[in-house]
Amino acid sequence: MPLISLRNVTKSFPPGRRGDPVVHAIDNVSLDIEAGEIFGIIGYSGAGKSTLVRLINALEKATSGEIVVDGHQVTNVPDRQLRTLRLDIGMIFQQFNLFNAKTVWNNVAYPLRVAGRTRDEIQARVTELLDFVGLADKASNYPEQLSGGQKQRVGIARALATSPKILLADEATSALDPETTHEVLRLLRRVNEELGITIVVITHEMDVIQTLATKVAVMDGGRIVEQGEVFDVFSNPREASSRRFVSTVVRGIPSPDELSVLRERHTGRIVTFSFRDGDSSQASVFLELAAAGVEFELVYGGINDIRGRAFGHLTLALTGQDAVITSTLQTMAGRIAVKELA
Amino acid sequence: MEDLIPLTPQLWEATYETLYIVGLSLLFGGLGGLLLGIGLYTTRSGSILGNRAVFGTLNVIVNIFRPIPFIIFLAAAQPLARAVTGTGIGNSAIIFTLSLAATFGISRIVEQNLLTVQPGVIEAARSVGAGRLRIILTILIPEALGPLILGYTFIFVALVDMSAVAGSVGGGGLGNFAIQYGYRQFNPVVTWAAVIVIVLLVQAVQLLGNVLARRVLRR
Ligand SMILES: Nc1ncnc2c1ncn2[C@@H]1O[C@H](COP(=O)(O)OP(=O)(O)OP(=O)(O)O)[C@@H](O)[C@H]1O
Ligand SMILES: [Mg+2]
Repeated sequence: MPLISLRNVTKSFPPGRRGDPVVHAIDNVSLDIEAGEIFGIIGYSGAGKSTLVRLINALEKATSGEIVVDGHQVTNVPDRQLRTLRLDIGMIFQQFNLFNAKTVWNNVAYPLRVAGRTRDEIQARVTELLDFVGLADKASNYPEQLSGGQKQRVGIARALATSPKILLADEATSALDPETTHEVLRLLRRVNEELGITIVVITHEMDVIQTLATKVAVMDGGRIVEQGEVFDVFSNPREASSRRFVSTVVRGIPSPDELSVLRERHTGRIVTFSFRDGDSSQASVFLELAAAGVEFELVYGGINDIRGRAFGHLTLALTGQDAVITSTLQTMAGRIAVKELA
Repeated sequence: MEDLIPLTPQLWEATYETLYIVGLSLLFGGLGGLLLGIGLYTTRSGSILGNRAVFGTLNVIVNIFRPIPFIIFLAAAQPLARAVTGTGIGNSAIIFTLSLAATFGISRIVEQNLLTVQPGVIEAARSVGAGRLRIILTILIPEALGPLILGYTFIFVALVDMSAVAGSVGGGGLGNFAIQYGYRQFNPVVTWAAVIVIVLLVQAVQLLGNVLARRVLRR
C-alpha cells in the first residue's frame, strides 16, 4: 500500500473578488507515493505544487476526493485528529519560517512540547537532532544570527522532531546559493537514507531533482501531466506541456529564440540528436555522418547525468548533398531520436 | 513659587491619582484591546479562525467607536458608565470610560502588529500540529511582542493625555490639579508644575517601553 495516496482530489479557492472566477488550484489529481521514496514535484509557477503538498498535511482542505496518509484518512476528519496526523508529517519551507522569538533549541523543541513530551524526552531529542544537523553549538542562538543554510537545517531539525514518516519540502533550497543548496540536499538525502523518511520535494531547480529525487511528477494547470522515474521523464517527456517544462530546465534543447540565432550563424540543416544511455553512442553518429560525406558542426547541446545514467541533446549544423543528408538521417532514425529543427 | 509649596501634597496626590487612573485603564483597556485585536486578526479571511461575518462586525464596531474624540466619547458613554459603575462621575466612571476608549484604540494597534508576523511562521506552527489557542499564545504574541510593547507604551501616553481631559469634567489627577489650582487661580507656576510632572511621567514610561522592546527585539 502506498504511504501517501490521493484519489480524484480537487481543490478550488473562492474568487478573491466578487465576479472573479473560482480558482481550480488542483484539478482531479490521483497520485501514489511509496514509503522510502524521494518524490519530486515540478512545474511552472501557479501550477498547484504548493497546494498539492499542503493538502497532504491538511494545511488546506480538499474540495473533493480522498487523501490517505499511512492508512489514515486526511479528508473530512476533525481538527483534533489532523493535529495527530501532523506529528507524522514534517514540513520545511522556502523562507524557513523559523520562530524568530525563540532560540534554535526552542524552535526544535516546539513540536515536542505540542506533542506533550516530557522535559527529559525533549532534552534528549533536541540534543540528538541538533547533532544530526550539525548545529549543536548554535542551540542558544536566535534565527537572525544564522546563515540561510543554517536556518534551513534548523527547519529540518524542527520538522524531524516528532520522528515523522514523511517530510514535505516546498522549495526548500530556492532561497539558498548553489553551494549551500548542495549542503542541504546532502542532509535531505541522509534524512531519507539513514532515517528512512519519505520525502516530497517541490522544486523548479533541475539540480534538486537530479541529485535527490527517485520519482517525479510534472504539474500544469492543477493537473499532473506526467509522472514516473526521473530519468524517464527527463530524458523522454511524453506530454507536450512536460516537454515544454523539461526543456526549460534540461540543458541541450535550443529555445525558439536560440534557434533563430543559430539559423543566422549557420548555413545548412539544423538537426538535434537526442541520446539516452543504452541508445547507440554519440561516436557512431559522428562516424556515420563522416562516412556519408556529410560535414557537421556542433552548434548547441549538453549531456545530463541523473543518478549515473546519462542523456542529452546535441544539435548539429549539417552541410552536404541534401539527398545524402536525408537518407543518412533516415537510417539513423530507427536507432536514435533525430529531429530536424524547422 | 511660594504658591506651589503649600500645594505639594495635592500635587503628589494628583500624581498618584493619575497613575492609578491610567494604570487601571491601561490594564482593562489593554486586556480588552488585546482580545479585540486578536479577534480582528484571527477572524480576517485566510487567518486561523477566518470568518467574514464576525470580522466584518468587529471591524465596523471598531471603526465607529475609535475615531470619536475623547471629550465627546466621555459625554456619550456617561449613561453606560453610570449603569456599570453606579456613578456617572468620579474616578470609577472615568476609568471605565478610558478603558472602553482604550480598548478600541489598542485593538487596532494589536491587530496591526499581529499582521506583521509572517503567515509562514503561523503555517509552520500549524504544520507541527499546534492548535489555535496555542498558536496565539506561544507563537503569535511572542513574535509580535517587541512592537506590541511599543504600541502599549504609546497608548499609555495617550491615556495620560485622555485622563487629563477627563480631569476637566470631574475626574481627579494631574489634569484636574492643573485646572483647579493653576488655571482657575491664575497661577501659571502651578499649571507648569503639573506639566513638568506629566512630562517626566511620560518620559519615564517611554524609556521603560523602549528598553523592554529593545530587549525583546534583541537590538
Ligand atoms: N489561499 C489561496 N487563495 C486563493 N487562491 C490560491 C490560494 N493558494 C493558491 N491559490 C491559487 O492556486 C493556484 C496554485 O497555487 P500554488 O501556490 O499551489 O502554485 P505553485 O505551483 O506552488 O506556484 P509557485 O511555483 O509560484 O510556488 C494559483 O493560481 C494560486 O493563485
Ligand atoms: Mg509554491
